[in-house]
Amino acid sequence: MTRLISRMLLAGSLFGGLTLAGQALAEDAINVTNLSYRTGPFAATGTPLMNGQRDYITMLNERDGGVGGAKLVYDECETGYNTEKGAECYEKTKTTSIVTQPWSTGITLQVLPKTNVDKVPILAPGYGFSPMADGKVFQWAFNPPASYWDGASMILKNISEGNLENLKGKKIVLLHLDAPYGKEPIPLLNAYAEKYGFTLLPIPVGLKEMQNQSAQWLQIRRERPDFVLMWGWGAMNAGALAEAAKTKFPMDKFVGIWWSGSDADLKTIGEAGKGYRSISWSFPVSDSKVMKDIKQLVVEAGHSMLPREEFDYVFYQRGVVISMFVVEGIKEAQAHFKTKAVNAEQLRWGLENLKLDEKRLKEIGMEGMVPPFSTSCGNHSGHSGAWMLQWDGAKFVKVSERLEADQGMIEPLVLEGAKKYAESNAPWPVNEECK
Amino acid sequence: MLYRTAGQFKTSYRADHALFPVRQDAWLLAFILLLAFVVFPMTANEFVFRALLTPVLIYALAALGLNILTGYAGQLSLGTGAFMGVGAYACYKLVTIFPDLNLIVAIMLSGFFSAAIGVAFGLPSLRIKGFYLAIATLAAQFFLVWLFEKWAWLYNYNSSGSIQVPTISVFGHPVAGPNATAIVQYYVVLVIVAVITWLAINITRGRIGRMWKAVRDMDIAAELVGINLMKAKLSAFAVSSYIVGVAGALFVFLWRGAAEPVAFDIPLSFRVLFIAIIGGLGSVLGNYLGAILIVALPVIISTLPASVGLPLSSAMVEHLNTMIIGALIILFLIVEPHGLARFWAIIREKLIMWPFPH
Repeated sequence: MTRLISRMLLAGSLFGGLTLAGQALAEDAINVTNLSYRTGPFAATGTPLMNGQRDYITMLNERDGGVGGAKLVYDECETGYNTEKGAECYEKTKTTSIVTQPWSTGITLQVLPKTNVDKVPILAPGYGFSPMADGKVFQWAFNPPASYWDGASMILKNISEGNLENLKGKKIVLLHLDAPYGKEPIPLLNAYAEKYGFTLLPIPVGLKEMQNQSAQWLQIRRERPDFVLMWGWGAMNAGALAEAAKTKFPMDKFVGIWWSGSDADLKTIGEAGKGYRSISWSFPVSDSKVMKDIKQLVVEAGHSMLPREEFDYVFYQRGVVISMFVVEGIKEAQAHFKTKAVNAEQLRWGLENLKLDEKRLKEIGMEGMVPPFSTSCGNHSGHSGAWMLQWDGAKFVKVSERLEADQGMIEPLVLEGAKKYAESNAPWPVNEECK
Repeated sequence: MLYRTAGQFKTSYRADHALFPVRQDAWLLAFILLLAFVVFPMTANEFVFRALLTPVLIYALAALGLNILTGYAGQLSLGTGAFMGVGAYACYKLVTIFPDLNLIVAIMLSGFFSAAIGVAFGLPSLRIKGFYLAIATLAAQFFLVWLFEKWAWLYNYNSSGSIQVPTISVFGHPVAGPNATAIVQYYVVLVIVAVITWLAINITRGRIGRMWKAVRDMDIAAELVGINLMKAKLSAFAVSSYIVGVAGALFVFLWRGAAEPVAFDIPLSFRVLFIAIIGGLGSVLGNYLGAILIVALPVIISTLPASVGLPLSSAMVEHLNTMIIGALIILFLIVEPHGLARFWAIIREKLIMWPFPH
């Protein structure tokens, strides 16, 4: 409790001072607001991500004085993961911020149709609506480096040990949050189930049942599935892991998406969670150049809101990677439009032309923290691939080479989903110039 | 002084029963309508429309619907959110099945679906009362939200399970969807809300309203003087759910633009119930005052520190906001348990006598 209070006070004073300083320097300042959720039922998983995002920007401001000569202003608008508040924040920030980071699939769906009119890019890294990868239809939305469908495909590849035929006759349970987010992978998994002859059994967990999943796990015990995949968030992850440990479900048959791989959730069960896997497009490398700079210039200088022990966490460093996407988009736009203060439309171009190859990642000092990928006008996701991480009882370790999603399965579904969306929201502008 | 009633003589019963027996009330209303129809639209920016004006009107309408049931007819309901959902999903199905249907007509029609569902769930009220009825409406809440999730036909089999509002034009102007401007949406909401409020005031003042109040105050006595309880209770459920359904359709089509089933879950019901209680049960004005307190005030508070240059993080502001609103709710309930509408009535009475009390 005292830690919470002190953290709140620290947050108030430090962060406020920072924004105030930012506002004073209006000239050549770029505002990148984040729709954060440090309050509400999902705060525990949201806060480390927000801290990572914030600290990367702070570090750039401290080390380089911003990016390309323009100071970065990082504001937060608190949503509490509430869709209504999120829409309010969107309205509040759309004129000042050059990017909208909605941080919830529900808020993403809500603001998605408005972006064509308001002309502000949405950046939803690794979440949102999977068909957003089709940049021709979703001109203003970006979900780099990989979509949920990429994630589902890579998990199947990994659990089948590289050969999907191995899944024939197997039974796979999808334990998912009963919300737009949790339902995302179902169409793709169904397509896989049909093609490779395994049984898919989605088991939804309602928002009210997140902490008490005994009914779901009773069903899992009865069904005796070969694998349980999890699309969980917030309290649901910890609830599922605790229940799995209690019912002695073999952890090596339990695999989560990237949002179900938070160190904090696994710390609570510790050794009992050994063997649990989570696919991830980011990996914490605490001795990389970027993280060293953040440690020195932000954390140790007292500018961070981060509790020290969370520095090596997957989610914190994922937040750093996410802010890097925004900053790289700004850099691309600055170079192309030859301007310091990039606006929203220019950033859209920048995000569409991200080129994060090995060399570039090395320059930034983020080698091994995110797989290399690039975006284009037709491909707003990048489909970077990801690593399988495994909990060793104390931390997550990489247990696979970089996995690639099977685009042959995904692409037709993306195109179909995007087309359906555009039709049901007609008139919907499509980027015809993009080939 | 300001509210001096001296010199305003009533020479007929008709004049004595008029909606505004005191002339100043009519002026006040005219002033508020002038604000709403002319001044706000001329001065407000998009954020004010989308975050303050439109939601206040929609929530006030939903609370008005609930108030008819709970405040006038005395039947406690915890299912308002779900009935709003029925209106929203009905409107969604109407506009997707009949794309040429005028949106205003669709919104007005969608109220009938929620009225029908409301009457069905109101049937237990003939046998059970008070807390037991509240539990029955709670069942409606859980069942309907579950239905919104499971019945894929309702959301046209969208993979996300949510409903998205396409661009819908009325007389050539986009009214709903991403291309609609905030001012057009505001005016549509304002006109619908104003018309329904006017109807509601007249229903509650008339024969039907008195019937409801009699049932609320003592249903056995009401039955003894010849009021048909079944008719009174079910008509209250029907009218209330109709208004709530229209509010739900407005909520999604003219404000949010998209909604997932969980948006209609119990927090929404409680929010509307709070508005009705804080505003004042059994009053029409109270719904507006309550909506301003519960819906608009948090938005204003959250923008306040930044506008005066106070260095507070947005999470901190959110914590403070919850505390301030909570404290205000308790304060108002202690100072005036009958709600803000009663608070205003006391102020008005004092003003009539001011500056020369007896």
